Amino acid sequence: MTKSDNEFSRLGAPLEASASPALRFEVLARCSTTRARASRMHLPHYTAHTPMFMPVGTMGSIKGITTQQLEDLDCHVILGNTYHLGSQPGPELLAEAGGLHRFMAWDRGLLTDSGGFQMVSLLKLARITEDGVEFENPHDGKKMMLTPEMSIGVQNAIGSDIMMQLDDVVSTLTTGPRMEEAMWRSVRWLDRCMKAHKRPTEQNLFPIVQGGLDPALRTLSAQELVRRDAPGYAIGGLSGGEAKGEFWRMVALSTGILPTNKPRYCMGVGYAEDLVVCSALGVDMYDCVFPTRTARFGNALVRTGSLPLRQGRFRSDTRPIDSDCTCLTCTSYSRAYLHTTVAQETTGCHLVTIHNIAFQMRLMRDIRDAIVADRFPQFVRDFMRTRFGKTVPRWIMDALQSVGVDLAAPDETGYSAAPIDDDFQKEPSV
Amino acid sequence: MTEVKIQTAPFDARFPNVNQTKRCWQSYFDYTKCTAAKGEDYPPCKQFLRTYMTVCPNEWIERWDAQKEEGTYPGALVLERAGQAPVRVETPSYVKYTRRGLQPHLLPDVAAGLGAQPAATRVQLEDFLDKDSSHRGRFGGGLREFAALGRADIAILDVLDPTTTARTAKAEAKAMVIDGAGGTRRLSPELFAELADALKPDVVVPPADYIEEPLPSLEHGKRIQKSAARSARWLDECLARIAHPAAVFAPVMGSHCPTQRTMYATMLAARKDVAGYSFNDISLALPFGRKLELAQRSLAILDPALPRYMAGASAPDAALQAVLGGIDLVDSSYPYAVTEQGFASTYALSSDGGASGHLDMWQDAMRADFGPLVDGCSCPTCARHHRAYIHHLLLTKEMLATVLLQVHNLHVYQRFFADIRASLARDTLRADAERFLRHYGCDGPEPAAAFGELRLLATQLATPTTKIQRQRHAEQPSG
Repeated sequence: MTKSDNEFSRLGAPLEASASPALRFEVLARCSTTRARASRMHLPHYTAHTPMFMPVGTMGSIKGITTQQLEDLDCHVILGNTYHLGSQPGPELLAEAGGLHRFMAWDRGLLTDSGGFQMVSLLKLARITEDGVEFENPHDGKKMMLTPEMSIGVQNAIGSDIMMQLDDVVSTLTTGPRMEEAMWRSVRWLDRCMKAHKRPTEQNLFPIVQGGLDPALRTLSAQELVRRDAPGYAIGGLSGGEAKGEFWRMVALSTGILPTNKPRYCMGVGYAEDLVVCSALGVDMYDCVFPTRTARFGNALVRTGSLPLRQGRFRSDTRPIDSDCTCLTCTSYSRAYLHTTVAQETTGCHLVTIHNIAFQMRLMRDIRDAIVADRFPQFVRDFMRTRFGKTVPRWIMDALQSVGVDLAAPDETGYSAAPIDDDFQKEPSV
Repeated sequence: MTEVKIQTAPFDARFPNVNQTKRCWQSYFDYTKCTAAKGEDYPPCKQFLRTYMTVCPNEWIERWDAQKEEGTYPGALVLERAGQAPVRVETPSYVKYTRRGLQPHLLPDVAAGLGAQPAATRVQLEDFLDKDSSHRGRFGGGLREFAALGRADIAILDVLDPTTTARTAKAEAKAMVIDGAGGTRRLSPELFAELADALKPDVVVPPADYIEEPLPSLEHGKRIQKSAARSARWLDECLARIAHPAAVFAPVMGSHCPTQRTMYATMLAARKDVAGYSFNDISLALPFGRKLELAQRSLAILDPALPRYMAGASAPDAALQAVLGGIDLVDSSYPYAVTEQGFASTYALSSDGGASGHLDMWQDAMRADFGPLVDGCSCPTCARHHRAYIHHLLLTKEMLATVLLQVHNLHVYQRFFADIRASLARDTLRADAERFLRHYGCDGPEPAAAFGELRLLATQLATPTTKIQRQRHAEQPSG
C-alpha cells in the first residue's frame, strides 16, 4: 500500500498556519489557480494530511474492517457517531475504558458528530426547543433531552480529537423564519458547547456553518462563527437533497469567509467528483457513509463511476476491479470472483469495502500530490475527462469556472467539455 | 496423474520394493502407536520393532526417530508439484475450511496475522454450483488464482460443505443431487471432472453416493450396496475424465454395513491411482464414536501410508478421537461454528480451565470486562482488543465482532493441533486425550455439550429464515 508519510517531505516552511491548544494546522502548498491547498493537521492522536476523506465507523468500527487494516489503508482520521456511541456502549463505559481510542484500539485521529443529526433523522417525535432536542427514548418511550451540554459531555467521554457542536438541524430545503431561527440557535448552542467543553487542551470543538441555501444567512452564520476563533470549521446543512448548483455555491461562499489558515470540513460529502470539486473550492476534510455502505451492496468504486459487481456482466470478468489499484482486493481477486462472493458471504463485502476505502484514500492522495506539484487544475481536467468524458454536469463546470478552471476551453491535450444539466452520476463505462 | 504425489510418510522413490516399503512403514507406525498406548515394555509391541528393524533401511529409521523427537512424526501431507518446492503439512492437523474459497470472516491479510496456518485449504464445489455454473472461464487460471489461495497452499476440492448435515435430496444413478442455498443441483462425474479441470486443484475428492437419513436397514442392505457400487463407478469415471493432474482422495464408502465397508476398502486398497482417503458420513444418524468405529473398520484394510481426511470430526473432542483412531486431517469448520454463536474458544489440550470450552461473549458480564478473551493468549485479537469491545460489537451487530472472534477461535484451534502433535511426539496423546475428554465431559456415551457449536449451527442453518444473532438479541435497537 502506498502511504502518505513522505508526500510533503520536500516542502519548506508552512505558507500559513494556525495553532490552538489541541490542533496545529499548516498549509504547506497552495494551488496557484484554485483555492485548493495541501496541509498538515496536527491532532492530539495523529498528524493528518489534508485534503482527506474520513471513513465512518458509526458504532466504533468500520464495518468488518480491523483497525490494523485501516492503518494499512492509510486512514488518518475516522468518524464515530455520538448518538450511537452514547447509547451503546454509553459514555460511562467509554470513560472507564479510557475513551473510544482505547476502547476500539485505534490510535490515530477520531472525529465525532454531535448526535443532533441522528436525533432528527432517526427518531420520530423529536421536538426542538431552546434548551435542546427533546425526543422519545426508543427503549422505554420516555421523554429525553439532548442539550448542547450533554452532547459535549458524551463527546468529552469519547475523547475524540475533533468534536462537533450541537446544531439545530433542519432540512436543507427549509426556507424562511425557521431556517433563520435554526441558524441563530446554532450560534447560541455553539456558545453553550464551548462553555461545556471540559478538555480544551486534548480535544477540539468545531462550529458548523449553517443557513441552508440562503446566501445571506450562511454569510451571517460564517461571520458569527469566525468571531469565535475555533480551531477549525465545518460546513453543514448540505448534502440534504438540494440541487448541486446550490450545494457548490454554499460551499464556495463558506470557504470564502472562513479563515484560510484553519481547516474546513464539509460534512457528509463522499462522491469522488464532489471531493475533487470541493477541494478546488478550498475544503480540507470530508466524511460519508457512501463508500463503505455501497460496498456492502456489491458496488465497487472506480474513477469512471461504480461497478455493480452483482450484475451478470461481471460473471466471467477475470479483470480486477481496477488494474491500477494496489489494494488487497485488486491485487488478489477478479471481478468474477467478487461477483460470486459478494452477495453470499460477508467476507466478500469486506473485500469490496477494503477496495472502496483504498479508492477514496488514493483519490485524496492524488489530489494532495497534484496540489503539491502545482498541477491540480490539470488533475481536475483529467479526472473529469475520465469520469464524464465530453459532457460534464453543469454544476461541476460552473463550480470549477468560479475558481479559474474552465473545462469548456480546450487544454494542451485538446480536451474540453460541454455542460449537461444532470446532477447524477453517469453509468460507468467498463 | 504423474506430477502430484501425496503421502503421509517421507517416501523414497529410489527404494525398489514397494511391498516392503509399505511393510516397513506399517510396522514402524504400529510400533509407535503400540508403545504410545501400552508403553515400550509391552511385549506385543516388540514384534513391530523386530519387523521394522529387519525390513527398513537404517536411514529411514533414523529419519523417523528424529522426526519423532521433533514432533513431526507420524506424518505429514506432502505435495510435490513438478518444478516447485514441496508443500508440507504436518499431521495430525486441519485443512482450512472455506466458504467460496475464503476462510469465513477472514480476509487474507487478517488470516496472515495468525501466523503459519496449515498449508492446505478445502473448497467445496457446492459453493460454485450456482446459476453461473456454465461459465467456466470465470475461474481464470484455476482455484488458486480465482480464490487467491496461497502459492504454497494445497488446494483440496471436495463436493459438500461439512457444516451442512441436514441433506434430504435422494441421489440418482448418474449424479449426486445436492440441496443447497441456491436450490437443487445435480453433480455428475462428468460435470465434476469438467469443473475440476477448470479449477485445477491439487487434490480432488470425487462425488460419491453418500447415504442420507434415515439409516437404511442392514437386513435388506440394498441401498448401501447401491451406494457403494455407484460411488465406485463415479470414482472410475472421474479418474478417467479429469485431465488436470490432481491427486485423488477417494471417498470411503459402505455406510454402517460392516461387509460393505470391508469390500469397499479392499477395492480401494488395491488401487494405485488413489493418493488418500476421505471419510464423509456426517449425515449418518449415528453417534460420532460409532461412525469412527466404522471408519476404523475401513482403515484396517486401507493403505496405511496414505493420508486420511474426515469430515464432521472438526470439534475438538471428535478431532481428538479421530486422531487416535488413525485420522490425519479434519477441517476448521468448528472454529467457524463457535464464532457464529458469538463465542470465544477457551479450551486447550492441557486445559485446567472452565468446563465449557468457550466463553459466551453475549453475556452481560462482558460489558465492562477489559481483559483479553483468554489470559495470556497471543492471538492478534487478544493482543489488541478486550472483551468489552467484542461484546459491544456483538450487541450492535457490527461485522467486526465475528472477524475478531474468528481470528481468536482459529488461533486456539491451531494451538490445539500443535499441542496434539507435540503430545504425539512425547507419546502422551492417549493419556492427554483421555484427560481432555474427561475434563470437558466428553467421555460419556451422550454427545458432550462442551463442543456442541457445530450441531447448534447446523440447526440454525436448517431454518434459514432465522438470523442467528437476531434470534439471540432481538430486543437490541437498530442503528
